[in-house]
Amino acid sequence: MRRKKANPLSIASANSRAGRRLGYLVALSAGLLCSAESWAQSAALPDWSGVWAMVGGTVFDRETQTGEGRSTTPGVREHPPYTPEYEAKYAANLALRDQGILPDPNSLCGIPTGFPRIFNLPDVYEFAVTPKQVWIVAENGPNVMRIYTDGRGHPPVEDRWPTHTGDSVGHWEGDTLVIDTVSLHGSEQGRTFVDRTGLVLSDAAHAVTRMRVAANGNMEVQITIDDAKALKAPWVVTKQFARQAEGTRVYDYACNENNRNPIDPSTGWTFTIGPDGKIIDQKPAGDAASEQ
Amino acid sequence: MASAMRKLMFAGLAVLCASASGHHSDAMFEHGTVLELTGKIKEFQFTNPHTWLQVEVIGEDGKVVEWSLEWGSPNQLGRQGIRPSTFPPGTAVTVRTNPMKDGTAAGAFLGARFADGKTVGNWQQ
Repeated sequence: MRRKKANPLSIASANSRAGRRLGYLVALSAGLLCSAESWAQSAALPDWSGVWAMVGGTVFDRETQTGEGRSTTPGVREHPPYTPEYEAKYAANLALRDQGILPDPNSLCGIPTGFPRIFNLPDVYEFAVTPKQVWIVAENGPNVMRIYTDGRGHPPVEDRWPTHTGDSVGHWEGDTLVIDTVSLHGSEQGRTFVDRTGLVLSDAAHAVTRMRVAANGNMEVQITIDDAKALKAPWVVTKQFARQAEGTRVYDYACNENNRNPIDPSTGWTFTIGPDGKIIDQKPAGDAASEQ
Repeated sequence: MASAMRKLMFAGLAVLCASASGHHSDAMFEHGTVLELTGKIKEFQFTNPHTWLQVEVIGEDGKVVEWSLEWGSPNQLGRQGIRPSTFPPGTAVTVRTNPMKDGTAAGAFLGARFADGKTVGNWQQ
């Protein structure tokens, strides 16, 4: 009887299959362990589930507001501790706002409002806490802010570039999430505004944000901004968000679905499109922007 | 019959409507003025970033004018019980709006009243 000669390829193949099975088992076990560890970590984290909505209008710093009204009301302004250069920039934007021609990129749809404006939006929010990241998810968007809480730091300066939301890392101090944010676009070239009054920051802005559920049940977000170019001193703003009724749903915010109020970036004019797709209104009188 | 078209002035009235405050400036609206229009619903655009109620109004010259009335986002309104079916096309309706400053046939929607007396939105402005 001829003995069957072992085929080295078969042996290798069998070994490979066994090795793969062993690999799967190790991976599965590790996954379960990691998963168990993650869930244990989750249990120690605060419950920020549900849907939240900002309390008050979209004036960013209500504590320093002058005048009554909303962020588009002429005469309403805020008082960040601006340097003279940035006070002049803000004053110029206020003048455009008063004429209804502040070229706010938010009206273009598709561009994130970024940080810190992500904490100054209408519509609702979700604050998703996971063991290694926290996500600020604003329905009004596109606006998602990712905060890495896995112990990593910011990338080295040479490995980062400005974005609308910046780079955020965080850590937990009890039930308070402490976020450090850098690498923001700033408001140069009108790229972004902090709110509709025309508040601006520079690309040197750095923020420490403290988020916690306050005694009144609201999410309290205290933002401390330093900005060597724009501010003479740190600017502290506190926003509150109220938990919405159980079962509240969040929907798509398809801003370009039927945007009948785009802006003309060259003049800042927010125009109105009629049902036939044509512009139906008139540019405001005294349109200083168009004369520049 | 020419449609009823009344201009109601509420001097100093603070208008707290759930209209165009999110996506764009609302500086184009005359917030101290409430205009009342009666006509027929042409379309309710239940779309982002804002909903639009299109109403055909017969002017004093007998010609039909289509008004564009802007309201909140479908997301905000949907959570408040408003649906795409809230304004059936062809239905007679009276609406109240903060009209645009420049006289364009458009405005910020405040509220509506149907023939059976049912109201939608902030009719009491």
